[in-house]
Amino acid sequence: MDERARQALDLPPLPDNDNEGITPVGPYERFIGWAAGLPWWAIILGIVVVVVGYSMLTSEAYRRVIRQLTDNPQVSTDDLFFAVLLVGDKETTTGMLARADSVETVIQQLIEEVDPAEADDFGILVSETQTEITLRTDDGRTITIPKRDIVDEKRTETPDAIQVEVTYFVDTEIVTGTVTDRAGDTLTIRTVDEVSETFAVSRVLSRDEQGELVTIQREGEIITGTLDTLNNTSIKIRVPGADELREIRRNEIVELNLPTLTLAVHDPGQERPVNPGEEVRVAYINGADLTNVLKELNRLDTVDVPLFSVPGEAQVALVGYDSLDDALEATSQGEVDALLYLDDGPERLAVDEWVTAHPDANMSVVLLRECETGCQVMLKLEDDAITGRIAAEDAEAITVVTTEAVTIEVDKDRILEERRMEPGTCALNNLRGCNAGIFLTLTVTFRAYALALIIGLMFGILRVQTNPVLYAVSTLYVEVIRGIPLLVILLYAGFVISPELRDGLMIFDLQWLGDSMPDVVIRLPKINLNDEWEAVLGLSFGYGAFIAEIFRAGIQSIGRGQMEAARSLGMSYPQAMRHVVLPQAIRVVLPPLGNDFIAMLKDSALISVLALPDLLQLGRLYVSRTFRALEGYNTVAVLYLVMTIFLSMMVRIIERRARLPQ
Amino acid sequence: MSEKEPIIQINNVHKRFHTLRGTVHALRGVSLDIMPGEVVVVVGPSGSGKSTLLRSINRLETIDGGSITVDGIPLKGARNINKIRAEVGMVFQQFNLFPDRSALGNIMLAQRVVRRRRKGEAEAKAQELLAKVGIPEKADTYPGQLSGGQQQRVAIARALAMDPKIMLFDEPTSALDPEMIKEVLDVMLALAKDGMTMVVVTHEMGFARAAADRAVFMDEGQIVEIDKPDVIFSSPSHERTQRFLDKIL
Repeated sequence: MDERARQALDLPPLPDNDNEGITPVGPYERFIGWAAGLPWWAIILGIVVVVVGYSMLTSEAYRRVIRQLTDNPQVSTDDLFFAVLLVGDKETTTGMLARADSVETVIQQLIEEVDPAEADDFGILVSETQTEITLRTDDGRTITIPKRDIVDEKRTETPDAIQVEVTYFVDTEIVTGTVTDRAGDTLTIRTVDEVSETFAVSRVLSRDEQGELVTIQREGEIITGTLDTLNNTSIKIRVPGADELREIRRNEIVELNLPTLTLAVHDPGQERPVNPGEEVRVAYINGADLTNVLKELNRLDTVDVPLFSVPGEAQVALVGYDSLDDALEATSQGEVDALLYLDDGPERLAVDEWVTAHPDANMSVVLLRECETGCQVMLKLEDDAITGRIAAEDAEAITVVTTEAVTIEVDKDRILEERRMEPGTCALNNLRGCNAGIFLTLTVTFRAYALALIIGLMFGILRVQTNPVLYAVSTLYVEVIRGIPLLVILLYAGFVISPELRDGLMIFDLQWLGDSMPDVVIRLPKINLNDEWEAVLGLSFGYGAFIAEIFRAGIQSIGRGQMEAARSLGMSYPQAMRHVVLPQAIRVVLPPLGNDFIAMLKDSALISVLALPDLLQLGRLYVSRTFRALEGYNTVAVLYLVMTIFLSMMVRIIERRARLPQ
Repeated sequence: MSEKEPIIQINNVHKRFHTLRGTVHALRGVSLDIMPGEVVVVVGPSGSGKSTLLRSINRLETIDGGSITVDGIPLKGARNINKIRAEVGMVFQQFNLFPDRSALGNIMLAQRVVRRRRKGEAEAKAQELLAKVGIPEKADTYPGQLSGGQQQRVAIARALAMDPKIMLFDEPTSALDPEMIKEVLDVMLALAKDGMTMVVVTHEMGFARAAADRAVFMDEGQIVEIDKPDVIFSSPSHERTQRFLDKIL
């Protein structure tokens, strides 16, 4: 190794062969030397053991600290994950599939976009879309079957129709809850979590003889919040200001008004054919907040309708009316094809009632649907005396389990679709839940660093090229990125690049050049980056510039003679780069690369500005909830410190192994 | 190629170096033909352009005027320059061994990458060449653990591994301690006896007398004198050659 490389490697002066003048080494140096002498597999095994053990230990320790400080018994490792299951029984049906489309096709599509689960009761239409198939059966019934429910399908083509026989799941039921056991043929799901409440001792009405059960007077509470999930036994609400979801049993609720959407259609116009570009007019009441309901449609005024027989798009035009009466009148007269009505008050069933009361108005209700998630709801609990198990008690307060957990069992082969909602708590038996805190910090750092190495190596090689274009491009990248704070780059990735990629559009407003200048619109491939990848991209592009400079310096530190020797042996430039220069350059740049890795681990704390739950963000949340800043930030700092110390040890070991014999 | 045809044809070659201080005219119309099997020694004061001439032969330096033809292929604009380079072995003053590879690895690398030889084949060849240069026991030693003379012998073996038709030596002994010079020169002498075409930039008069067919004296980018080494070193016809020889002998 030449002198320059040895200096760059920051190695101590080389001992002479007779071992004179060796500086005494401490136990740390000896340990590094011992570890560097182990075979590769032992080192990798050691790293895995340390990382897994550390992660588990720290997440457990972290949770214990929080539990000690917050006294929150909700955090436990048996919350494996939260799942939504669609359960159904199979049925076989036979029918004809004709090639047709009409006003109904479009309305059907609208309904199904809003509410795929309840579509099958209403269609008379016979068609096929990308997501489902509608059949008219031999006995005159027409049914729509979502394609994902279909188990088996047989088709026979005739000139004007297709005979179809399908087996599919019917009567699907949605089960939401936390999976607690998946052994055997059944799945155990806790649909209602245990809830404990704390009351003043003075409220206790009576106790049973064993002293286990207690009856307490409780006031009926009025709760307002955002509906999160809804099932037959309970509802979950996100109450503003609270971190966790509030779960309430339905039988404790006295009053609950859920926003309800009604869609009524004008019967005679249903079979009217619609061609691409034409409209289906749908009435609504001015001022009604249909936006939330139609959010799943993404567009308020245009719905893409992939029709089976007419390629292209038909549109849904929304027509506003001032009052419900006007809208009903217009629909029954056929001025519009359908009527959408949304209300969360006592009037929410008005359209349904009106249609039932006016059988001669030529209208029928095709969709009556309560909000299932995402809407604002208000509910009132009953005033009650509740009886519950005593969880804890002291002189002033008593904690009672007011809601016992409810679990149900589901046969695995009846499960149609399993959607994991949130991964639950991180634990050895639920690694999917390990997606926050240290785990997020580490995964983001590792991914970003791997990407930064690729970017850095690429631009580092470009930086030593004689081609002026390549040199200019790489220098521009390095100088621009190095001149911008990493925080700003992260904000760019999260709030500029990512939304533009999501829309697939980049729009530049050129009005400042003159009023008649049109906007410049650049179409990009549509890519949906999640927050984690925004952070990875931001970090890797930010660090790529520094790593490119490290690689450039490393390549330039290898004497010209090496390249000449390689070329004189007949190697091409890329061959010489790959086989001769880069292997030596990488030895030289290992220490600075290791330093950059540790720096990146620390800088990954910046990703909390993208609202990612990394280590720092969790610490901050904890501090803002408990106001225990010392404990919170101490925990965060120590966890970072342990990680960086371990990593710098790894860097030393790798450096030592990369050393050449002298 | 017939015996009469020169293997290297250097014809009126010019080379200028552009530096911040101005242009240096390093080669000023150099012409030289070298026959197959011939050993040519190039001597001259430093800055006379002898190294530049040598490096031009495998296009480590590109020339500004004139032409160089190696083994019948003109270098200018040659697409297969890597093929030519593989046919022309070069030994450097500073050895330029790859420090991260063992002696064996140094000799095997280009065989594997350029000649696409199988590993066993390349290894056998490398062992054979290490034996030829007299250090078969150093196969697994890294350059940092070898003496200068040993390193230079590995470098020669590395160049020979490509089965070159021509070997270029750029002051191969100048960076060596005196007691190591002989071991390198012995290897070169043996090579010359085997009939290798060699162009050697050196100040080793002993080697030149023993092995060289012709000696070339260069000064200020021009060839001053070409003759048999005995003639050049004992009775040079040019006064400039005489002055140079007076200084070094």
